[in-house]
Amino acid sequence: MKDYQLAWRNLWRNRRRTLITAASVFFAVFFALIMRSFQLGTYEKMYRDVIESYSGYLQLQHVDYMDESNLDNSFVIDPGIISRIEDDPNVTAVIPKLESFALAAAGSRTQAVMVIGMDPDNEIRGLNIRNRLIRYRLTPGAVESLKAENLPGLTPKLLDVFVNESFTDEESLISILGIDRSDTLKILPLLRKYTVFDNGYLTAADTGFAVIGSGLSEYIHAGVGDTLVLMGQGFHGASAAGLYVIKGIVNMSQPEIDNRFVYLTLDDARYLYAAPGMATSAIISVRETDDDNLLMTRDRLREVLGDDLVIRTWKEMNALLLNQMEADNKSGAIMIGILYLVIAFGVFGTVLMMMAERRREFGMLVSIGMRKGKLARTISMEMLLIGLLGVAAGVAGSLPVVFLGYARPLRFTGEMAKMYEDYGFDPVMPMLLPDTYYLWQVVIVLLILLVAIAFSVRKVFKLNVINALRA
Amino acid sequence: MKVVEINDVFRTYHDTEVEVKAVNGVTLSFEKGDFAVIVGPSGSGKTTLLNLIGGLDQPTGGEIIVAGHRLSELRPSELIDFRMEHVGFVFQSYNLIPVLTAEENVGFILSLQKWPKEKRKARTQEMLSAVGLSDRHKSRPSQLSGGQQQRVAVARALAARPEFILADEPTANLDSKSAETLLDIMVKLNKDEKMTFIFSTHDIRVMKRARRVITLEDGRVVSDEKVNHR
Repeated sequence: MKDYQLAWRNLWRNRRRTLITAASVFFAVFFALIMRSFQLGTYEKMYRDVIESYSGYLQLQHVDYMDESNLDNSFVIDPGIISRIEDDPNVTAVIPKLESFALAAAGSRTQAVMVIGMDPDNEIRGLNIRNRLIRYRLTPGAVESLKAENLPGLTPKLLDVFVNESFTDEESLISILGIDRSDTLKILPLLRKYTVFDNGYLTAADTGFAVIGSGLSEYIHAGVGDTLVLMGQGFHGASAAGLYVIKGIVNMSQPEIDNRFVYLTLDDARYLYAAPGMATSAIISVRETDDDNLLMTRDRLREVLGDDLVIRTWKEMNALLLNQMEADNKSGAIMIGILYLVIAFGVFGTVLMMMAERRREFGMLVSIGMRKGKLARTISMEMLLIGLLGVAAGVAGSLPVVFLGYARPLRFTGEMAKMYEDYGFDPVMPMLLPDTYYLWQVVIVLLILLVAIAFSVRKVFKLNVINALRA
Repeated sequence: MKVVEINDVFRTYHDTEVEVKAVNGVTLSFEKGDFAVIVGPSGSGKTTLLNLIGGLDQPTGGEIIVAGHRLSELRPSELIDFRMEHVGFVFQSYNLIPVLTAEENVGFILSLQKWPKEKRKARTQEMLSAVGLSDRHKSRPSQLSGGQQQRVAVARALAARPEFILADEPTANLDSKSAETLLDIMVKLNKDEKMTFIFSTHDIRVMKRARRVITLEDGRVVSDEKVNHR
């Protein structure tokens, strides 16, 4: 009889204990993976939001711009620089950007804002601002009209919670109002009828138009068609002032950006800040966005640039956000650590019980001629099988949940969604598809098993046959 | 032909401050085909002597030679191999492997010795047949009575053709009918296959069947008598 056959049979001699131990490993792996997938998926979304709406993956900047982000550290961006960068195999486009600060006013309200000037036709290759255009808004009038339609479930109550809220797509509107999938077909036409938001976007040919964040729009009480006054300081201390008609409103997802976001065409921004032909940065659109490729691209591009310019990755530009996520990540790791600690005690409990219960049997096996090494190997296989059973079940059980959570991210509704938004988060918890974090969970369980196996192997090699036979 | 030689063997324990001489200067030998019982009151050293002969324990003095091997010269791993090849054990509480069937239990020691599958199967069937359990070869220990389990244990002990069988109180947990059946089988195997049996027992039924009775008291041999059964 082969070792693994004996180990497999031994596994089922105490079926209940084996199942309980394997189940404890299953639940640990399952919940750890789900938790980790939510956590990493949320980080991923935050990073993606920042990258797509603001920084891009790589940026060309003046070497001092990171330390002093003002117009004095802008640079003349000539076609020669752009073509040298675009020659890199990983680069698809270079989108110049002029960015500075100003005071924005509409009526009696004033707000400090971040003005971004870019070519709107070219921007989509580096950022994703166009996709953030508001398409639906729950105005008080729309809410009243919808309430009059006798909508089912909690939707009428949730309409009051989200009055004046804006949405960029139907999916978020449906889920935040708690509308059941089965009612979607019936309610969707009503939502379209009452909440569609008449919005516009910039084109490169536009002059004197602006797109602003929904948070800013709310704060200064200005909507599409209203006039926005911008006042600030231009290049080398020149005064900057201009009037712009609000052409569109976007929801920038990250509230700290959304509340201060003003988007002009690049030419308008250059004119406003008296900085013709200049840029504070250029977003470099790339094919491969993983860290290794970004670093390699950065290093290659460094060689074709002069001393005054530098390429920065999104991680370098968003160090604060990364640090915050890292701190949050640590708290998640501690939670998972506690989870595994509990499991480790469970596994050790099983090992201790098993070793105590079968001591006489081990004594008999060694006395009739089974080498201790072979006995240790059989017991190790038993432990490994229990663990792998739990790990395999945990991984298998988590996969559908993770894939579902990735395809249809968990979107909070009602008060919970409101709370998330009030704290400055998008009320969405997407999951991350299986990645190296899956491997880590398996490695952790295997390490716990390894310690348990080491303990049982040591016990076998220290077994006193005569004492064991008396047990 | 001598199978076991025990020369002036001592086994002293220092469990507490008191020194206990479990085996105290025993000199004995067992011939091929012996059917011997070691008797004596509890604590007289019967089991200790059996453990020493079987290489489960090492003497603190003297020498044991089994099948030409000086046990004191063998390393622990060699002792395990020695037991596998030369000694068959029958324990008081059967000690079968609960997850294996009767035939797997018997064949287990043969698989440890890496017998080829076909040969192993034939030998297993032969041994189960010898103990009258060929019809229960697929039964697990929990499906067998105590007497049947002990017969499987005997078959297992004999399967690898050891030099001798050490049986520690093999009938202690059996009812009288099962004990008699088991003893009948052992006597037959002893007679037919010249298998050497060394028992430690309190059981009068075993003593009645023995051809040699060794009495121990306080770790010493006080008598060693041959018995003729007519």
